[in-house]
Amino acid sequence: MSKILKKILLLAIVTVSVNATNHIVDQKGKTFIPHSLDVTVGDTITFRNSDPFAHNAYTDDEENEFDIGMQAAGVDTTIRVKGAGKFDVECAIHPNMLLEVTAH
Amino acid sequence: MNKIFILFFTFLSLFASEKDYKLGESLFEKTCISCHGADGRGNPQLRLVVMPRALSRSILDEEQSYQIIKHGSRYWGSLADIMPSFESVFDENELRSIAYYISKKFNPNSKQRVQTLYDKSDEISQKREHKMLKRGKKIYKRNCSWCHGLTAKGDGEATRNPEKSIYPYNLRKTLLTEKQMFLYAKYGGKFWGTYKDDMSGWSRKYDDFTLKSIIKYIEKEFRTEHKSKI
Repeated sequence: MSKILKKILLLAIVTVSVNATNHIVDQKGKTFIPHSLDVTVGDTITFRNSDPFAHNAYTDDEENEFDIGMQAAGVDTTIRVKGAGKFDVECAIHPNMLLEVTAH
Repeated sequence: MNKIFILFFTFLSLFASEKDYKLGESLFEKTCISCHGADGRGNPQLRLVVMPRALSRSILDEEQSYQIIKHGSRYWGSLADIMPSFESVFDENELRSIAYYISKKFNPNSKQRVQTLYDKSDEISQKREHKMLKRGKKIYKRNCSWCHGLTAKGDGEATRNPEKSIYPYNLRKTLLTEKQMFLYAKYGGKFWGTYKDDMSGWSRKYDDFTLKSIIKYIEKEFRTEHKSKI
């Protein structure tokens, strides 16, 4: 019985992973493009640095806390959305950069 | 008799000021004008290369300008500015005269502007100092250290970007006062005359209490042996 349960659980995880969407967020002109994002828990967000200088992206949201660290020009970094709710993503270097994420 | 003395010294001081101004103007037009322009706003044709500051919007007062002209900006913590030291070019009177001219001609209200903006900011009780230091440390590490480095030497992780397009100040060396640093952080470099697109204004993100907390932390942690205090 427990083996069947494990298989179901594994299948569910694989299904979620397969159905997960990757959202591209560009960092250009010291702006997150797009400014806001609707995602599903399990989706991934790829932060792309198209500026010729370093960026960062982080959130202090309890469910989704992450900090991608220093991101050099031209680099992509991907994170996974872990919990539902609304949260802001900011760049620790450039104070005017703001991305609003709504996770369902 | 006293009146004669007063008139004599008043005349002398006026003469001295006039002489300083004229000398400063003459030296400015022979040297400084090539980068900073006749109007002190920075020569637009050179902005892409050396990006001289707009003297008309500088945060510096006359004495600080003199220090920058004499020692160059690198001595005071800049890692990018190409403002050289003129100590070996001009004598003391000439250096003072240039600073005097620049201050009077382009930025006569610098001190007043700084004071007015500071007076508009939130007043923070000294009783909150402990809380300020704690908050300042947290935010410094969260944001400022990316560029200025954990020890404020201007060697943060973002400076190791291959493009190397930012040149943060070594905060241990900068000659800005606590008040000036707060206003620089609040309004950003462009507001204060730099053409480099680096130091952003942080007022959208943080309130005055937080910004003052960061500066207090920098002062306490990194600037106890600052040149201006020795």
